[in-house]
Amino acid sequence: MFSKKWSVLVVALIVSTLLAACAAPTPEVVTVEVTKVVEGETVVEVVTATPPPPPQEMRPNILYLNFGPGDVPTIDPALSTDTSSVQVVDEISVGLTRLNEVSLALEPGMAESWDVSEDGLTYVFHLRQGIPWVRWNGSAVEEVLDCEGNVRYVKAQDFDYGIKRTGNPDTASDYAYVLGFAIEGFNELNAAEGWADLTAEEKQVLLDGVAATALDDYTLEVTFTTPAIYNLNIIGLWVAHAQPRWIIDGDDCTTARGDRWTEPGFNQSYGPYVLKEWIHDSSLTIVKNTLWPGIDSVPVPQVDEIRFAMLDASPAFAEYEAGNLDSTGVPLADMDRVKADPVLSQELTIAPSGCTYYYGYNTSKPPMDNVHMRRALSHAVDRQGLVDNVTKGGQEPAQWFCRPGMAACPTMQDHPDTGIKSDPEAAKAELQAYLDDMGFTSIDQIPEIVLMYNTSEGHKRIAEAIAEMWKETLGIQVTVTNQEWKVYLKTLQEDSPQVWRLGWCLDYPDANNWTREVFAIGGNEETATQWRNETFTKICEDAAVEMDPVKRQDMYAQAEQIMVYEDAAIIPIYWYTIVNVTKPYVNRTYSQHGHEAYEKWSLDLELE
Amino acid sequence: MGRYIMRRLMWMLLVLFLISLITFAMEHAVPGGPFDREKKLPAEIIANLEERYHLDEPYWKQYALYLYDVLVPRITRQKPTSMAEETMINVKLGGNYYLRWMNFGPSYTSRSRTVNDIIREQLPVSIQLGLISMLIALVIGLPMGILAALKQNTILDYLGMSVAIFGVSVPVVAMGPVLVWIFGVTLRWLPPTGWGAKPPYLLFFIPRGIFSWGFWRYAIMPAFAVGTGFSAIIARLSRASLLQVIHEDYIRTARAKGLSERVVMVRHALRNSLIPVVTILGPMFAAVLTGLFVVESVFGIPGLGKYFITSITNRDYPVIMGTILLYAIFVVIANVVVDITYAWLDPRIRYE
Repeated sequence: MFSKKWSVLVVALIVSTLLAACAAPTPEVVTVEVTKVVEGETVVEVVTATPPPPPQEMRPNILYLNFGPGDVPTIDPALSTDTSSVQVVDEISVGLTRLNEVSLALEPGMAESWDVSEDGLTYVFHLRQGIPWVRWNGSAVEEVLDCEGNVRYVKAQDFDYGIKRTGNPDTASDYAYVLGFAIEGFNELNAAEGWADLTAEEKQVLLDGVAATALDDYTLEVTFTTPAIYNLNIIGLWVAHAQPRWIIDGDDCTTARGDRWTEPGFNQSYGPYVLKEWIHDSSLTIVKNTLWPGIDSVPVPQVDEIRFAMLDASPAFAEYEAGNLDSTGVPLADMDRVKADPVLSQELTIAPSGCTYYYGYNTSKPPMDNVHMRRALSHAVDRQGLVDNVTKGGQEPAQWFCRPGMAACPTMQDHPDTGIKSDPEAAKAELQAYLDDMGFTSIDQIPEIVLMYNTSEGHKRIAEAIAEMWKETLGIQVTVTNQEWKVYLKTLQEDSPQVWRLGWCLDYPDANNWTREVFAIGGNEETATQWRNETFTKICEDAAVEMDPVKRQDMYAQAEQIMVYEDAAIIPIYWYTIVNVTKPYVNRTYSQHGHEAYEKWSLDLELE
Repeated sequence: MGRYIMRRLMWMLLVLFLISLITFAMEHAVPGGPFDREKKLPAEIIANLEERYHLDEPYWKQYALYLYDVLVPRITRQKPTSMAEETMINVKLGGNYYLRWMNFGPSYTSRSRTVNDIIREQLPVSIQLGLISMLIALVIGLPMGILAALKQNTILDYLGMSVAIFGVSVPVVAMGPVLVWIFGVTLRWLPPTGWGAKPPYLLFFIPRGIFSWGFWRYAIMPAFAVGTGFSAIIARLSRASLLQVIHEDYIRTARAKGLSERVVMVRHALRNSLIPVVTILGPMFAAVLTGLFVVESVFGIPGLGKYFITSITNRDYPVIMGTILLYAIFVVIANVVVDITYAWLDPRIRYE
């Protein structure tokens, strides 16, 4: 009985295979034998039927994306600083820890687990085993072999080497400073005086002084300078990824490629994707690493190949409309059309992104040396109006600096009244308070205010709109002026104008990277703002080592309140969004930290 | 003639030297440096970067080092591993010896490439696009101008000149997106952006697929957009020039001799009228062959043109130097060619 059923199945299978083979491109009625199972018996009937439709042609499992104009500057983990470089590095290699791109939660990466010492300074990372170094050999992904012919697996020594290579002054990494303030002994190496003149032994001492040491093949010990909560974020950054020493410096069986090791053909990596082709200034292609085993935070990729074009926004949008790109940003000029278009508006998404647009004050220059004046201007900026009519990308009006969504940044739900709001009445009251302070009788007595931005069409529109708001609400006429980018940066450092603009994007998603690193004493914009507040700095420093997340967030809210309201040192304007169109057949995630996790994307391969 | 060309080339060296000196002085006089960022880099990071690129040396020494790297050939035994030792000319002399010459330096912005890489990979694309565009410009512009002059004040003249006015006044930045919209997005006959050739090239700049549709489908739109713009200039100039020549005395003489109208025009009028056209063609060629920023940006072409702009905004000193010198070389050579063409067009011109 049982075997009979099996034979039925086999016959059915054969018939259906034959059917599939016979299927003609044009459907026609044919006579076929159909096997049926009726109560355990086999009946073969002759019927007329329409053959099943021919197998559908499938979409190639390739994702087409755009990086923006200009070549990808590098794909060397130690040297990457910009979005597209880091994007590639994060797809072809994985850090000890990995940041979930949607939740911004910290997840294990190459480190399976870790132990923390009592004082919170020393971490011992236990690495995953059996993840091979791979390369694209021209036709397939292959494992890299060592001199004995064994597979090279990613080991603790590769992370040890990677971190020290980033810190080596010869590497001249732009981004080394992020590890510099976090890892014990790192800054001593990176900022070594007269490095070029040191002997090899002296250099080795400094290299060994970096507190990142491989205890054995799969155990790495790292000692940090402070017991900060964000240490695990920093150790997962691309500058601390494993790097292949043999291909960079050479060994017994490998030719040293030096700084050329990132070129296709030489490049070796171990992440979910592998570099396949890089036509400089034109395109870069990565393919699925078939040897990547898949881990919880970095699954096995579903898309076989990803090709990045290097196009300006408008040409990229044309390619999208022509069906040659699967996702791209929307140029401002096309925004209204996209929103009105029945198809494109369905493909449009506006997602939060980890950047803040703000104006700073030079708090030492009259009239900006008076807090009432600063508050008046900040209150008078109609942020929602600006977003609706000028920037048009669904940006979120900002009440403070730190982008909500980052760890410990205040959120609008928890702190709706923190910071400064657009409020014309309050603005007028503050202006009056300023006039009273100064004993002025008319606004004409206010010293000239210069609003400066770096030359760009987008910044110009925003500056003109805000100047108009100030004029309407307060009657204050400011001088709007601009400078070429590099000249502008120099001006900010040497003699910043009363009001200037800048933006900030995250390095790692923690309030420390925002509120403290930018505005605390010794921070990035101390010179430009001329604002030094010790209470603010103290709160930020305490918050860095506070372990209770709720308390931490409250501390940063308190700090922000001081900065944007009590002292009103800056005007937070808006929090960025990413305005994207994506084809409906792409199943994707939306990253909040600026780099996508393409291993989590997939394509519907059946053509509609 | 040979001696004349030699003399011109010697002058070229002096010109290039002066240009490099002026460029060097100007790029360092402009405020702001290559490592000024929105996110300010710490002093020690900038110190490491400046040391790597010798920007911590006094200016005279930086300039001397640059000249040394570019001008002085070296013979070495080992193959270079570092980009800092990368040279344009790399000849194996036999044994393990290499002659290595012309190192135009690194790019500060693109940490994975040198100026030599940029020239090697991007200049050929610009030359390909430039040659095709100029061919289009000449094939359309010259006949249109000549026809308009010969049929002065007829419908042909007005029509031709209207087209020319249109070509001059509609720049690539407007025409490009319109072409992309019509042929790339709506009709989908041609790819909206991109370039159909990639390295390696034959003889430095000839794409391997030069006879394939795969190459030309990418080239048509941008070459047409550039070519029509320049053809308009050529048409207007050749018309004006030919009109002037036609009213010269020697044309009347030629006609009086009883020469046929055809011979008068081709042998006497046309050849002479080409001198102003050739004069502008020289610099035009030099500019087009070294890349055009706007058309590259609109059509996503990986040419050299954008480096003229981005290198300056980035304060990428070696790239500024490299692109400016390259452009200068093209201009000087183009002018020599123009001068030689004069002698061929007008037998009265002699260079000795």
